Amino acid sequence: MSLLNQDTRDQLTEMFAALQKPVKMVVFTQEFECQYCQETRQIAEELASLSDKISLEVYDFVKHKALADQYGVDKIPATVILEGGQNGKDFGIRYYGIPSGYEFSSLIHDVMMVSEGDPQLSKEMTDWLAELKTPVHLQVFVTPTCPYCPQAVLLAHRLAMASDMVQADMVEATEFPHLSNKYHVMGVPRTVINETVFQEGAAPELLLLDKLKEAVAVAA
Amino acid sequence: MTFELNINGFSLDNQANDYDVIIIGGGPAGTTAAIYTARSELRTLVIDKGLTAGALGVTSKISNYPGVPGPISGAKLVEIMREQAESFGATFITDKVVGLMVDGEQKEIIAGTGNYRAKVVILATGAMGRTSTVKGEEALLGRGVSYCATCDGAFFRDQDVAVIGNNDEALEEALFLTKYAQTVHLIVPTPELKARDVLAYEVAENPKIKVRLATRLKEIVGNGRVEHILIHPRQGEPETVPVTGAFVYLQGSQPITDFLMGQLATTAEGCLVVDNDMQTSLPGVFAVGDLLCTHIKQAVVAASDGVLAAVAADKYVNGRKKAVVDWG
Repeated sequence: MSLLNQDTRDQLTEMFAALQKPVKMVVFTQEFECQYCQETRQIAEELASLSDKISLEVYDFVKHKALADQYGVDKIPATVILEGGQNGKDFGIRYYGIPSGYEFSSLIHDVMMVSEGDPQLSKEMTDWLAELKTPVHLQVFVTPTCPYCPQAVLLAHRLAMASDMVQADMVEATEFPHLSNKYHVMGVPRTVINETVFQEGAAPELLLLDKLKEAVAVAA
Repeated sequence: MTFELNINGFSLDNQANDYDVIIIGGGPAGTTAAIYTARSELRTLVIDKGLTAGALGVTSKISNYPGVPGPISGAKLVEIMREQAESFGATFITDKVVGLMVDGEQKEIIAGTGNYRAKVVILATGAMGRTSTVKGEEALLGRGVSYCATCDGAFFRDQDVAVIGNNDEALEEALFLTKYAQTVHLIVPTPELKARDVLAYEVAENPKIKVRLATRLKEIVGNGRVEHILIHPRQGEPETVPVTGAFVYLQGSQPITDFLMGQLATTAEGCLVVDNDMQTSLPGVFAVGDLLCTHIKQAVVAASDGVLAAVAADKYVNGRKKAVVDWG
């Protein structure tokens, strides 16, 4: 049975008509033991079916371990959004856990953003990213019922798109309780920057920039 | 553990969500603006938290609103205004705005039910925001202190939590939390509940919710995470209630601007700065009513702000259209 209803499919088909560059989705799943693997794969399949500009590759996390390593994927379900086509590029945009609820809109925004090729960041942020020499890893913990979370996820993903030094993960907190414990997640969104610096809530761009500077200073 | 997939019907951008004017806040200022913009045939959406969410909505008797001899309840007065706005074609939705981007020509509003776009935004969120936090609240934010039960409820499965506040939102969130928590202590500062009857009834009937009336929250206590709250009943001694979560929905008299995330100029007191047309520091973004703190807090004054902003919004939308035609 289809997860997307006809109304949603119609809306998405109309939106995807504006897609420019091709977009590729790579989903890592597993035959057994993954709670929302099947649904995550199905969401990606249904999205890909709505536009010729969206392609999809599905891999088994165990059987295709080398490929998972190449993408830096260490847990499933995982969804990677990248630019498709011959000059395709992996920006470091990751979803761990099912992109459902409010995060479904993040996924759609990311597809549109990667296709347009413009992360739409402020000059301050763009300038800072251009000088960035230290790798930055953002993990944005979310729940699917959190209306504030997509803002935090999308900002992190925009940074990943803008800089090769940045990787940004959405992490669905209830599917990865060990990570929620490790990073003391009791409220979302909570963004973990390079394991050392934390941001509560959906921070505006310049507030997050201060935190990024803090995290880079710790690393230096 | 299960949750609804919820991938249909909301959170998507689509043209149905495009408006000429979006008004945030459905009190007297916002609703009056809607009457005027809708009557000027501007496609108008009002996003409001609920009839009793604002200062007028919680006022019990009004007898000095011109043309309405009363006494009439604030909620009823807002309802009449709303029906008037709807009769001219304005659309009202009950929702909470969680963010907005208003610096471009097209303004984008992010609400719980999805994203909306408009040429003009009129802010009318009033002044029932909190003036201060309680001891321990900031330090324990994200460590058990939360402002969003739907976001964070899942982290408190089978635990005891507290909800502090007395409005529709607080009661709705308390009821939501009963899906996860063992016990929900509802700490209400006033001697009686101020919420819709049906909500108050549901809360009273729910065996998981323990209501404490006329009780103030003094402190949220914990070392690294919330361990208990310190409360003080109006008649009685302070006491501690062991909880791992504290969901705070208290109100005050501060303009509600947190959702703007500093995008607009404000005074030192946190009031929005506007020009004679009620326009803020960004073009196409207007602010009206108690957000401004420039005048006495009366419904009729707020309503008059709404008219000024609506007329200016009409000029803004249609003026721009004419200019485009001229250049063409």
